[in-house]
Amino acid sequence: MNKRMIFTLAGTAALASVIGISRPTTVEARIKLATLPDKEAVVVRFDHPNQVLVEEERTISLQKGTNTVDFSWAGTNIDKGSIVFRPVDVNSKVEILSTSYPPGEAALTWSIASPDARSEKFRLSYLMANIQRETDYRAIVSNDEKTLTFRHYFKIRNWSGGTFDSADFITRDGKTFEKGLDQGEAKRVLVNKWDKVTLNKEYVYDLTRQREGKVMTDYVLKNTKEAGLGAIPLEYGKVRIYQDDGKGTTAFTGEDWGQFTAVGDDMRLNIGIAQDIKVEFKKMVNDVENRRGNVYDTNEVDEFEIKNFKDSEVELTLVLRVQGEWEMQKDSEGYTGFERVDNETIKFKVKAPAKGAPVKLKFHYKRLNNW
Amino acid sequence: MSCNKQLPITNYQWSAAAGVCPQVVIGNWILVICCCFIFGNTLSAKEELVTLPERDSVQLTIYNSEDLTLVRERRTLSFKQGNNRLQFSWANTLIDPTSVEFEPVGKDAQDALEVMDVSYPAESHEMLIWTVACTKPAGYEVEISYFTSGISWSAEYTGMVNAAENAMDLTAYVTVTNNSGEEYEDAEVRLVVGVIHLVERIIDLARPRQPMPSAPAMDKGEMRDMAKRARGGEAQNGMQKPKEIQKAGLSEYYIYTVEGQETIPNRWSKRLRSFEIKDVPLKTVYRLEPDKHGPLFTKVLEFKNDEAHKLGKEPLPDGLVRLYKRVSDGRLGYMGAIASKYIPKNEEVKVNVGPDAECTMKEKRGSLKKKDLTFRNNRLVGWTTVEEFEIEVKNFRNRDVEVEIHRSMQGLFEFESDDAWEKHDADTQKIHFTLKAGESRKLSFKVTTKNGENAR
Repeated sequence: MNKRMIFTLAGTAALASVIGISRPTTVEARIKLATLPDKEAVVVRFDHPNQVLVEEERTISLQKGTNTVDFSWAGTNIDKGSIVFRPVDVNSKVEILSTSYPPGEAALTWSIASPDARSEKFRLSYLMANIQRETDYRAIVSNDEKTLTFRHYFKIRNWSGGTFDSADFITRDGKTFEKGLDQGEAKRVLVNKWDKVTLNKEYVYDLTRQREGKVMTDYVLKNTKEAGLGAIPLEYGKVRIYQDDGKGTTAFTGEDWGQFTAVGDDMRLNIGIAQDIKVEFKKMVNDVENRRGNVYDTNEVDEFEIKNFKDSEVELTLVLRVQGEWEMQKDSEGYTGFERVDNETIKFKVKAPAKGAPVKLKFHYKRLNNW
Repeated sequence: MSCNKQLPITNYQWSAAAGVCPQVVIGNWILVICCCFIFGNTLSAKEELVTLPERDSVQLTIYNSEDLTLVRERRTLSFKQGNNRLQFSWANTLIDPTSVEFEPVGKDAQDALEVMDVSYPAESHEMLIWTVACTKPAGYEVEISYFTSGISWSAEYTGMVNAAENAMDLTAYVTVTNNSGEEYEDAEVRLVVGVIHLVERIIDLARPRQPMPSAPAMDKGEMRDMAKRARGGEAQNGMQKPKEIQKAGLSEYYIYTVEGQETIPNRWSKRLRSFEIKDVPLKTVYRLEPDKHGPLFTKVLEFKNDEAHKLGKEPLPDGLVRLYKRVSDGRLGYMGAIASKYIPKNEEVKVNVGPDAECTMKEKRGSLKKKDLTFRNNRLVGWTTVEEFEIEVKNFRNRDVEVEIHRSMQGLFEFESDDAWEKHDADTQKIHFTLKAGESRKLSFKVTTKNGENAR
């Protein structure tokens, strides 16, 4: 006896499956008589950075012999090629013989061989498009800017065409929350909260990030256990930063995109401009030397006058770039340390005294035109 | 009209079938805040009474570097055991939906309440529903915060310069303008001085939405009432004093907190005095400094934002500076205006008030000679020019003036002079001196420039 079962997913991801007896017909005239098996579990997984995997479990009554199960998903965004259908019991005697795809339909049929009449639990997995996910963070920085409370939110919006009456949503880092989610609806949940996360504040002058030469204020979070994080990689997302104003409330102090930050790595967040620190650049020397025919070197001195109008000393990081082959000269001065980050980039640390007393960084280098 | 004034506490029934909450009309737009207590998971599970709570307080934190205002309002809500669903909607406003946050206020509320999720229903871009779990039923104060566009503030300065131009009375103002579509009545107003980093504009996040409805025309009585509220009511016991504005630093920013509460009706602006300082010492310098003050020889009034100049308590936010000169009989003459950038504490302020006919500068080239001509294949490929210049500065005023001149050259040059020029940068020399009343001074210098192959 050939039994035919039909799952339909017309406009709903809450699997509305139907069971029916089929007879050989054309696609246009298929007759479907069905009953609705109970849905037992729906899991929506966000493990993959771009794809969403939905898994559903259904118990289907099978007759001895070959059964046909029909699965259709009109109006939803299921990737047909991604559908995986198997018994939950790996030792099941039930065998899936073949999968058939009717032309012109968002549907397929499985031929399932069963040794006897039984109820068998199946798991159906598929990739579903248009379920958007978004990570965002909210940081409350302490008044002294030494630590912060870091809240991690996960937001999903369902444009898939389906509806989830109740499903377990599993984030990339394994957090599970059970929610219902209608078509077009979005939900945002707090998935992690870390208190007393260590914070490093840096002042940075970098013309490739801030073309007007203004000094940026960066917060740097280390995604490590020592710093109070380190439990999971931090997903890319907007970080909105507030600071305790010491008067029982907070003020919004800026936002930035937090880049994906692996455990052990740093997340750098620009919160705004440090208007009380000013850098004035002057090229003091720009000479041609060591001319050989039409080839020559240059001897250049760049001067950065730094004024810190705050009431206390600060350390400023200047990220400078010189193209081509070049060498820093020994009479460069005014820094407390430097690092040649790569061939084109050098990073200086400069201590800037309080109340506007100027300090100068002299960067002397020669560009070499060697062939 | 504010929510508080227009509507008393109202009880009404949740429309369970439609899942819709009655709307509260506020000013030109609609704000719906309602709280429904539902024991089941779905909206239609149980009908409950809904309470529209009064707004206990509202605080506006207005930023001047971005079109952004952080609104915090506190309300006391009653919560029942289990899951409570709280709906918040903001039709026809400029609120950023991604910024709306719910926070219990105080330890008791924080211990008892937990936000389980925030739902953004498909049927509205301007509504959300918080599911708040409550472990101990009671009334708790909660804070709802959000970003809105449309409220701005700016700084302005007025300087009254004395006749001798060596001191001025400086008054700073802050002006708050409300085009948000909402009147925030009796709000604590905080103004943030500083440049915050935003990755998306609030107005873009607030869209898509309906065009802002225009305010209905008011009759004169309404205008008077509005003006009265904007003034902060009638004066008590006669004279009112200008409000104090407290300033405090926070990270890279300064927060100006306006004393008491303010009401700024929609589409109105309000100017408040930030500070007034008498007799700020002033220096007049005549400058030719094209990089900073343009190509003309101009008069620049200088002072410093420090204690020596009776300032220096806080930075001066960017804003328009208008200078007036006190002339005879208490009358004023207008000196000029300039858009000033942010002035940190201890930094110099230089206000260019434009050219002054009583102090002039003329430059002339006295001679031009070419030498060291280089030819290749009978074609000129290199030469050197020797130019002699003279600058004459005349002070027709009846007092001494300071002069600073920056002179830039191009190419591979040598600069020679018997005057006290000093190197400013690779291409620029500068000189600074005092010129006595009625005197003139001539400066001379020679510039030798190598051109073509001579420069190699």
